Parts: sequence; structure tokens; C-alpha cells
Amino acid sequence: MERKWRKIWGLIGLLLLNFVNNVSSLSLTITKVECVYEIVRSEGDIVSGNFVVVDHHIFWSSDHPGIDFSITSPGGDILHNLKGTSGDKFSFKAPRSGLYQFCFHNPLSTPETIALYIHIGHIPNEHNLAKNEHVDPINVKIAELREALEAVTTEQKYLKARDAVHRRTNESTKKRVIGYTVGEYILLTIASVLQVVYIRRLFSKSVGYNRI
Amino acid sequence: MIKDSNVQMAMTFPPLLVVLLLALSTGPLCDAIWLNIPKTGTKCVSEEIHSNVVVLADYVVVSVEDGQTAAIAVKVTSPYGNNLHHSENVTYGRFAFTTEEAGNYLACFWSDNRTRGSGEVVVNIDWKTGIAAKDWESVARKEKLQGVELELRKLEGAVEAIHENLLYLKSREAEMRSTSETTNARVAWFSIMSLGICIVVSGLQVWYLKRFFQKKKLI
Repeated sequence: MERKWRKIWGLIGLLLLNFVNNVSSLSLTITKVECVYEIVRSEGDIVSGNFVVVDHHIFWSSDHPGIDFSITSPGGDILHNLKGTSGDKFSFKAPRSGLYQFCFHNPLSTPETIALYIHIGHIPNEHNLAKNEHVDPINVKIAELREALEAVTTEQKYLKARDAVHRRTNESTKKRVIGYTVGEYILLTIASVLQVVYIRRLFSKSVGYNRI
Repeated sequence: MIKDSNVQMAMTFPPLLVVLLLALSTGPLCDAIWLNIPKTGTKCVSEEIHSNVVVLADYVVVSVEDGQTAAIAVKVTSPYGNNLHHSENVTYGRFAFTTEEAGNYLACFWSDNRTRGSGEVVVNIDWKTGIAAKDWESVARKEKLQGVELELRKLEGAVEAIHENLLYLKSREAEMRSTSETTNARVAWFSIMSLGICIVVSGLQVWYLKRFFQKKKLI
């Protein structure tokens, strides 16, 4: 009877685990300030994630001022503050449960697109349960395994976003090489034709004028 | 003896399971992010997804003004511009589709002006793609898995997703490498050609001017 109840609670614990797996990945366009909020259900959950600025409108300089990023806890403390980055990873242990705010601020006037990924991981522990409930060690192990896999997935999302940025730069370079080179050839030809036309004009007004 | 206890558990579980699943699945604030939708203008979220991936999303308006939840309108478009989902003046909804093309899928929200709110609307968006959107309950029912087996099956699904992602990254990197190598070769060729064109054009200039001056009997 005791074993049966333990198994029931174990299963309920497992079911609850299903719904505590929290991932969100999306791209946002930031004009001035954008904030994304996420609820952390229990204290001690590990919040990890990354963001990459995907649409760098770099024209001349290769140095982008970047965007500012900050994470605010429900109590109002700023947990993480980055200025002028083009992408970063973050990971922290939530000091309390509640609504966390992830804010981006764009110092420039051109809108930037950001690919964001946030993951909130929860490992069941003895802390929050009542006295006569036990956490089945296998659930803890499964949760740890799941968190490890999610860490790999988080890293992969970061790599994918960086790869997308790199691809954009590469394709822009390819187009620029062709565009500017062909433009250069045309300009060169036009300049030399203009030179010849000018010299002709110098000499055909009247031979008497320009005895060079 | 194990079979006995299994049968007993099977008899007590279903009602508990059903109640629990209902309780947790009707909770609107499951796992998601909250976004602020400005009063004027649209807020769009997008994701770059490859083809043949299941996308499942739920959205619920969270902010309440004057005792009434504000209404929003949603529009989801595929990378080629096809409209996948469109609804107006709703406070909650869900959409699901399987991607056909690889590209940027865009979901745009804007606040419906009919509600006379003065502030911003906060929407809870739960956007799941690929393995996260898989319906584990139906898999569990179909293959009669429960408990640890189901969890391990989910982990197996996650590992497969990781593997697929790795293969995708590998293929993208191979493409990028070939693009870089083409660009490198092109830079070399075009610079040499530019030198060649310079020489040819100046040669033509000199030849033409010489002919011109000879005709004018100046040389």
C-alpha cells in the first residue's frame, strides 16, 4: 500500500515535470526598447539562454555599436547587464519565483532583429514537498539528464543563429565583390572614353588656337 | 506480484491522470513568454524554421483593463507570403501547421482598436516547434507507455532532435565554406581582370589618339 502511494506520487511528480519544461525561441525586431517577460515557477530554477543580433546593418565600418541587454528579477534587481553586444549567452539561478524581464535597448535608429532563446530548467528536489512525500531518485536523474540535453539544445540554437549571421555576411560579400567589380570596370571605361572625347575637343576647335 | 500492483495502479490512475492533465492543460499560463503589444502598430515575432517541422502555438491575452480583457488580432504568414492563420478581435487562440518551405515564419499581433484601452496589451505566447510540439499523450496512448518509459522516450526524441540539428549545422557550414571559396577565387580573378582591362583600355586610348593626331597631320 505504501509502495503504491509512493508510485502514485512519483508518477504525479513525473507528470508535473512535463509541464515545467520551459523553452521559448523566437526572433524579435527591436526599434527602441523591447521587453520579453517569462514566468519562473519555483525558486532555484536555472534560467539559461542566448541571443544573437541577426540583422546587422553594417555598411562601412565593421564595428557595430551593438545593443544593450538587461535581465530584471521580479524584485526589481538587475541580474545581468550588457552594453553594446552583438550576441551573448546567459545563465543564472533564479533567486525567487515570479516574472522575469529580459529587455533589449537599441541605441541606433535602424531596427535590429534579434534571435532569442530562453530555457528554464527545473530539477525536482526535496525542498518544496511535504514531509511524507519523497522524490523518486530516478525522477531526479531523468530531470538532470533532460537538463543536460536542453543545455546542448540551447548551445545548438546559439550556433544556428550565429551561423545565420555569418551566412548573411558571406552572401553580402559575394554580392559586393561582383557588384563593385563590374561597377569599377564600367567606370574605368567611361573615364577613359571621356578622356579621349575631351582630348579630341581640345584639338578640333581650331588648329590655330592650340599649337601644342 | 509486480503484475498485480501494476493492475491495481492501472485502475486507480486513470481518474487521477485525467484530472491532473485537465488541470494542467487548461491553465493558460503554462510555459510561454509575455509580450507587450503597443496600442498602435504591430508586434511581430518570427522564427527561421526548416521544412517539415510541426509548429504549435497558443496565445492568450493576459492584461485586463476595466474588467475586460483586451482583444487582439493575429496573422501568421509563411516565408512566401501565404497566410496560414488570421483572426481578429480574439482574446485567445491557437494555431498549428506543418512547415512546407524553409524560411522565416512570421506571426504578427496588433491590438484591435475597438477596445478603448489606453495602455498596452500583454499577450502570453507559447510557441513550440519540432520536438517540443510533439503530442506525447497520443504517443503514450498508442504505444501504452507510462511513467519512466514515457520520459525515456521523450529523452530519446530530444536526442534525435539534437542529432538532426547537428547534421543541419554541418550541411550549412559546408555550404558556407563553398561560398567563401568561390568568393575568394572571384576576388583573385576579378582583380587580375581589372588590371587587364586597365591595360587594354589605356592601350586603346593611346592607339586612338595616335591615329587621330596622324589624321590631323600634327604628328
